[in-house]
Amino acid sequence: MFFAAFDLPTGPATAGISWPDVALSFFAIVLEGAPFLLLGAIVSGLVDVFLPAGVIKDWLPRSKTKGIFAALGAGLIFPLCECGAMPIVQRLIRKGVPPAVATTYMLAAPALNPLAMFSTYLAFRNQDPWLMVALRFGFSLAVLIFLGLWLVRVRPEQMLRAETLLGSTTRNPELSPNPGLVLTPRPGMSLGGLQQFTGVVIRDFTGVLLFLVIGAAAAALFSTGFNRNLLAPVGQNLFFGPLAGILLAQLLCLCSTTDAFIIAAFAPFSIPAKIAFLVAGPLIDLKLYWLYRSAFQPRFVHGLWLRALAATFLLTLLYSLRP
Amino acid sequence: MIARFTRQISFFAPAAVMSAWATVMLHTAASGHLNRLLSPTFRSYVFTAAIILLILSALHLMLYQPVSVTDATPPSKRLRQMGRWLVLLLPVVAASILSPSALSSTTLANRTTYDSTAGVTPMPTMSDASKENVQAALSTDPNQPVPMEVTDLVTISHSPEMIKTFTGRQIRTIGFFAAPPGQSQKLVRWMMWCCAADAQPVSVELGGNTSGNWKDTQWLEVTGTAEFPSTLGRVIPKINVTNIKPTKEPDEPYLSP
Repeated sequence: MFFAAFDLPTGPATAGISWPDVALSFFAIVLEGAPFLLLGAIVSGLVDVFLPAGVIKDWLPRSKTKGIFAALGAGLIFPLCECGAMPIVQRLIRKGVPPAVATTYMLAAPALNPLAMFSTYLAFRNQDPWLMVALRFGFSLAVLIFLGLWLVRVRPEQMLRAETLLGSTTRNPELSPNPGLVLTPRPGMSLGGLQQFTGVVIRDFTGVLLFLVIGAAAAALFSTGFNRNLLAPVGQNLFFGPLAGILLAQLLCLCSTTDAFIIAAFAPFSIPAKIAFLVAGPLIDLKLYWLYRSAFQPRFVHGLWLRALAATFLLTLLYSLRP
Repeated sequence: MIARFTRQISFFAPAAVMSAWATVMLHTAASGHLNRLLSPTFRSYVFTAAIILLILSALHLMLYQPVSVTDATPPSKRLRQMGRWLVLLLPVVAASILSPSALSSTTLANRTTYDSTAGVTPMPTMSDASKENVQAALSTDPNQPVPMEVTDLVTISHSPEMIKTFTGRQIRTIGFFAAPPGQSQKLVRWMMWCCAADAQPVSVELGGNTSGNWKDTQWLEVTGTAEFPSTLGRVIPKINVTNIKPTKEPDEPYLSP
């Protein structure tokens, strides 16, 4: 049964790669992402200057597990794009928000984004839109709860890069955008808050921008050079369909507010394959992998990647095999 | 001497990188190349970000001064730090120079799914201009061609009511030519949701008099009658061409929702 329904493709299966087009796609991705990353760095700077650490701690539930559910709720109410979220999440962690809670919010904000659900409804309006919205939201929430409950058991030092844990105080050498370089105010230019704000924004922006550039290069390569029809023959298969959906999401690296329009038109994919694409993509993909590496340890990111994709696959496979 | 040089480079690098990004952004916007990269929603963000980056660069130079590079920093680490700044600087500058004005037919083939060649990519809505055109078409001379976008014909193909209205109607549209091996000739537009990396080809089939030595991705203006034949339960938008001629690329080569 698993291996049935392999239709042979009728369209072009191989087309090669155009390197100028890769440059075009790369340029487009970084120009789209950089303003949001800068916005995130500015919010991070404002949080650092104006929001005392104790205030955030007072807002949060004492229990980490309750904090996970608060983060999921925040993801619904305060939507953030993936690029903008990275500096803010790092700053929140430095301000004392438990890493598990901040990370859950980082994952939930694009995945449970009301705009993503609305775009899903629009994209599938000729293909049972409410079912697609319900499946996307329900499966995303289930995967996020699973990930959140795992995150509370991971120690911060196992999760975060050393520099993410530092820099919670002002006048810290780590505020320098180039580690190892110590900046001091120019004589007569000691402007306190503005100086601190500027240092934080530049450091956060340039720090995460490096990973956006690397992630955008990977995303451009595959979104341009990968022939989508290669996955078409398995798109309707009960077992391999969801896997194909997850793989395509990893390679195309689309924003959660856009992905539904792309996959809705991909007729070779079954509903479980499309849902797998929509659930896995906002959680992690090739571009997000590199963005996450700006704050988290590689081993932790690999673990997150594996768990997010395994949970997505399991849920969509169960849906695919339903009687 | 070397330590002083390293210190100066390290100090100026953030400002240089941010200024370079701002310059690339502003140049891309001013040259119109931004229209080929981002949907209209995102373009103003790029301009705003460029201005902020210039301000941050100035603040960095005005508010701070370099003191010293940590002595314990080994040369290999210093080189790595320099490499980080080059990674931030070189790819974006190179991409701004090397990126072409349009995606090629190779990428068109990679991104064309079996069904999008027949034009089933769902459109959020019909464009405002086309809504007006539809209203005008219903109340004017039926022999006058209605100016429409390729995406609008796809939208119409999803509505039985509109199919009735537009079947046999004279329409005029522009797009670029594509003749995939083993498939019918098509008139294509890229549909861009956020940026060129997520652009999807949307097409209508061309029938009738399409004679001419047209090359792949050549821009054409096509006049003809709209048809919506149904194959295996799917409606395929098609233009029965009466007139076809080359045209220049529009200012907005991509269509956006």
